[in-house]
Amino acid sequence: MAFGEVHALIGENGAGKSTLARILSGISQPDSGSISLDGSLVRIRSFQEAQRLGISIIHQELDLFPSLTIAENLAIGNLHYSGGRAELDRVGLDCPTSLTVDSLSIGQQQLLAIARALSMKARILLMDEPTSSLADDSVERLFALIADLKAQGAAIVYVSHKMDEIFRIADQITVLRDGQTVATLDATATTPAEIVRLMVGRDLDLTARPHRTPSSDPVLTVDNLRTRKLSGVSFELRRGEVLGIAGLVGAGRSALGAALAGLDPILGGTVRGGRVALLPEDRGAQGLMPNLSVLENGTLAVLGRVQKFGFVRDAEERRLFDPVASRLALKCASTGAPVSTLSGGNQQKVLFTRSLLRDPNVLFLDDPARGIDVAAKQDIYRAIDEFAAAGKGVILVSSELPELLRCSDRILVLAAGRQTALLDAATATPESIMAAATRL
Amino acid sequence: MTKRPRRFPESLLALLGIIVLAIAVSPVASDGGRIFLQPGNLTDILRQISIIGIISLGMTFVILTAGIDLSVGSILALATVVVSMGIVRQGHGIAVSILLALGASAAVGVLNGVITATLRMQPFVVTLATMIGVRGLAKWLSSNENIDIGFGHDLAATFAASFSRKAVIIGTYVALAGSFWVLLTRTVFGRYVRAVGDNPKAAEYAGLPIRATKIWVYGLSGLLSGIAGVLYTAENHQGNPNAGVAYELDAIAAVVIGGTRLSGGKGSISGTVIGALFMGILTNLLRLNNVDSNVEMMIKAILIVLAVAAQRERKSK
Repeated sequence: MAFGEVHALIGENGAGKSTLARILSGISQPDSGSISLDGSLVRIRSFQEAQRLGISIIHQELDLFPSLTIAENLAIGNLHYSGGRAELDRVGLDCPTSLTVDSLSIGQQQLLAIARALSMKARILLMDEPTSSLADDSVERLFALIADLKAQGAAIVYVSHKMDEIFRIADQITVLRDGQTVATLDATATTPAEIVRLMVGRDLDLTARPHRTPSSDPVLTVDNLRTRKLSGVSFELRRGEVLGIAGLVGAGRSALGAALAGLDPILGGTVRGGRVALLPEDRGAQGLMPNLSVLENGTLAVLGRVQKFGFVRDAEERRLFDPVASRLALKCASTGAPVSTLSGGNQQKVLFTRSLLRDPNVLFLDDPARGIDVAAKQDIYRAIDEFAAAGKGVILVSSELPELLRCSDRILVLAAGRQTALLDAATATPESIMAAATRL
Repeated sequence: MTKRPRRFPESLLALLGIIVLAIAVSPVASDGGRIFLQPGNLTDILRQISIIGIISLGMTFVILTAGIDLSVGSILALATVVVSMGIVRQGHGIAVSILLALGASAAVGVLNGVITATLRMQPFVVTLATMIGVRGLAKWLSSNENIDIGFGHDLAATFAASFSRKAVIIGTYVALAGSFWVLLTRTVFGRYVRAVGDNPKAAEYAGLPIRATKIWVYGLSGLLSGIAGVLYTAENHQGNPNAGVAYELDAIAAVVIGGTRLSGGKGSISGTVIGALFMGILTNLLRLNNVDSNVEMMIKAILIVLAVAAQRERKSK
């Protein structure tokens, strides 16, 4: 690739994108093959060496230090940091640098990671799913930044699952599958459909909206809900309906899930009906028990139903788990293997199974398709449709507007903890949603 | 697609290694046999590890929840004082005295659990406090004196004679180890224990009974320390408010040698039993060869590190 160019890497989970990122940043070593820079072969043996070569990586799993402050995180291991907050302003992170990282939202942490990479004066910047937890306004700012860096002659490797992003910013697109390059294409000479085909080897339709007819019968009624982070939220979720939740990072989308699932106290208003099961936003931190097996993770919340005198009955447990898991097309070598050995998409399906097994009539899905591959996304969408078709209600949070428009019947928009709109998804547009999300 | 692929545990290799070494360097008796392998010596080893072994079963559960229990040695001392005072000074029967001792021990454990779970304090700090406080309680109750149990024909002597037999001590350990193995691997409670330690945040989101699980775990650890204290009293013919000092460290050593991670979520009872056996055989092998007790500590230190190093996870990439 050339300087002054944005080169997108795309591929399903496990295709080798993150491995490539680790090799370029000096964390892992290649088994064979070579990397050349400025026409000469280089070997990247450590993080510092990568930095001296001008390579900087923004990893998908953010490599920040949670108990250190923003300033300390910028300075640590950084050969070029000179204090100041120029980079923070560039990415639009407007908090004091004395805050510790664990007090920031995931989206803000992502911005900090980008600022950190910028401050290392990189000529080659690799971004691994940088927008996976950013709200749309931050994404816009990031894209402007990328255009800026590109104009200054930097080379940017952009790893993403999001087709619309890639086509907006990439000059070249390389598709990886099973650790190999399938094709490198000029972005102007290809189409999203072609890329998806190359990624999975078959056609997928990401845009078709299912035809649903929600009844007028409410399964969950929320009236003027108030919690520490929310106020004035009112809606009726009907049987067979998928209600999308849109909003910027920190608008209170996850707070709504926490309140409805009983994790955050309700300070005012009423919530009627609904056995709510929550699929949390952060798969690793809030969902998985990495050392427990796939099966154990799936049935964890419903052990009461498979026990006798406190003993787990294996056959009953399997009878509960297997049908739900296979309906979600969960793929794993063994349900007895630790869940951490699965790909991101399959891990999400295990958590989805856990939520479904609780036999809820309302599913609160907090960004269920975040950072998972296209095929797994399809399986999740199908499960959402099935659940709604069974006359139950789904509340779907997503940072991706196309996903919300594809899956929802109505879209509730939050801004700074307040409800600013409740739109019909059939007539809503990304513009109308964004307008409501920025109405403070 | 049902069973977890079985891996040969490295802790078992370490145990086999130490057994081979013990046989190899064992002194030879007058009849030509190896002293290490004599039935009397082997059962001695089992009896010697039983007290720490019992405590380490509870410690395994505590550590699986990503906690730690530093108060076990002090609880053991409290149990020795309560049971011996009950029989010798208060004139309670054997059963009542034992129940009092176990009740007091479990109560301290539950207190550890309640403070840890409800005030969300670090278990290290909570159990450090009870370690100090309960030691004080044991000394205060006994006026910091040993309560001796004689060898005569009174009730106390009967207690000591029956509970200091090898079969009773080893049998108690084996029965408890079996029970706790079942508890961890087969029950809902056991699964909660592993889940809570593996990812506390996710346990909260999954709606698991985190508080109850922690209270039970520390309560059981206290109860087991109490059982160990009763056996200790019989074996040593005295209630001793200064008993069990640093036992928490021996118990933790057995747990980590057995492959249980201090960060929680991963470990096993079988591993902890192997860890206790490893330590017992090592002690026995050094003593049979008349190794100086100070040198013994240094050798133990090295072997603990080696045993744990041998089973650390290999980096995958």
